[in-house]
Amino acid sequence: MPKSRAPDRVPLTGADCFLRAFDHEVRRKSGASHLSQLVLRLGPGFDPNALAKLIAEVAEAQPILRAPIRRPFGVLPPEFRLDLAAKAPLPRVEILDAPRSPGEPPLPPLFAERLNARLDGRRGELLRCDVVRHAGGAEGSDVAFTWLHMLLDGSGSERFVRWLDEVGQGARSAADLPDEPTTDSAVASARARGDQALRWQARMRSFASRAPRSLAGPLARTPQRLEVDLATFTREETERIVARARKLAGFLTPMLFYLAASVRAHRSVFQLRGIDPRSFVVPLPVNLRAKGAGGALFGTRVSLLWFQVFPEACAELEGLLADLKAQRLAAIKEGMVEAGTAAMDYARWLPRSAYARMARRSFGGELCSFFFAYTDEFLPGMTSFLGAPIENAFHAPSVPPSPGSGAIFSLREGRLNFSHVRQAGVFSGFELVRFRRSLRADLLGEAE
Amino acid sequence: MDWTREALTDRVYEILREDLLSVGDEFTPRSSLIEAGLDSLAVTQLLLAIEESTGVWVDESLLTEETLASAESLAACVHAQIARA
Repeated sequence: MPKSRAPDRVPLTGADCFLRAFDHEVRRKSGASHLSQLVLRLGPGFDPNALAKLIAEVAEAQPILRAPIRRPFGVLPPEFRLDLAAKAPLPRVEILDAPRSPGEPPLPPLFAERLNARLDGRRGELLRCDVVRHAGGAEGSDVAFTWLHMLLDGSGSERFVRWLDEVGQGARSAADLPDEPTTDSAVASARARGDQALRWQARMRSFASRAPRSLAGPLARTPQRLEVDLATFTREETERIVARARKLAGFLTPMLFYLAASVRAHRSVFQLRGIDPRSFVVPLPVNLRAKGAGGALFGTRVSLLWFQVFPEACAELEGLLADLKAQRLAAIKEGMVEAGTAAMDYARWLPRSAYARMARRSFGGELCSFFFAYTDEFLPGMTSFLGAPIENAFHAPSVPPSPGSGAIFSLREGRLNFSHVRQAGVFSGFELVRFRRSLRADLLGEAE
Repeated sequence: MDWTREALTDRVYEILREDLLSVGDEFTPRSSLIEAGLDSLAVTQLLLAIEESTGVWVDESLLTEETLASAESLAACVHAQIARA
């Protein structure tokens, strides 16, 4: 996170402002906020009241958790106003009792409802927590942390949960955040960053020659009604999928395998509808944290690598993967990670509606084809949260009503989780079956 | 420049330590790169830096758990690729 001009104010990163632009668009057109969610499925032994007490303690010690987001004089880059946090309410923790069905129980509907709600960043409403207890906790509990997306990114949210557990267990104090590494890499001059931002803009505009279509269509005024499906693969299936991802996409780039399978699954729905998607344009989040550093909980520290693939390149998974690999390498060689960061940094100065206007111009009213993320191993090595065993854990970031579909993959203790976050009504029941079949076939290398 | 395996190890180690990883003095040419936090972006940036130094692009498909075990094993992989080029 950039250094604050004053100790009581923390500037939002460029990526934070990019997400804030999404939030603005979603608030204006769909009545919701652009949120993210992390879900922990816990076994017996969890005390939600201890969590509520802990959240209050850490929010007192870390004012950023309820710091109003304001733009000084209405035009300067927005900041987390730590100096105003004491006047903001503490993050809400709600506890609900609900029966749990046997086997792999479905997610509590409350969690999807939370993704459709509003959090008001201007008032310091940045984070909330919901606990659904089963049989008073004797049969386990589901915990959802839901936050305004610019407070934490995927990696930061996992670090936050780990830190929260350490504070709860007394291993560190609430005032003691992990060290945040400083990078001494040379910062490009303003002119160089301007050039980078322009290159990024040119790349985005190059997608316009065959602008994408999303399954939901361009963003219209429609209430956000997100649903979340979780598919958890067995250990045996996950072993096969992970081996296949390494073999086909490479040891360190399995995300391209999951991205390719997701593109093809969305394409299968377009085929069913008999509609030409024109192209698939998908952003891939890239973690910008210093490698090997433990700190950096708050703020969004990502850049985005954008891919465009054409339907004719999607006929075979292997061919599509070759296309994505070549695009990834070319984009990194051309400095598109840095260019994306520079462009998002400029967004700090722009009105919130500027990005959406640019995307609409470049993509014929669409923001992208669908959202995608692969976050690798979820909280590796952490087996319990506040004394209760973690049975499963995954992310469920919200997806605006357009593109209306988000594919999020992560691994937890040898099992692959796929969260499909989608706007109700975007997929028919039949289309959803087709989508899942296509995805499963590609992941496992089986015939549909 | 003719790259010996030792010189390559030094160069790979230097790039990792100076530019890509946030590591302390405990990080050596034999330390695990994955444990040190090397990810896909850092690997690609490393390969670009190696190409800049040696003029040889290392095919990403050669990277495995074994070749990425340490700066030393990665340098051995690069050295073999240079020898073939």
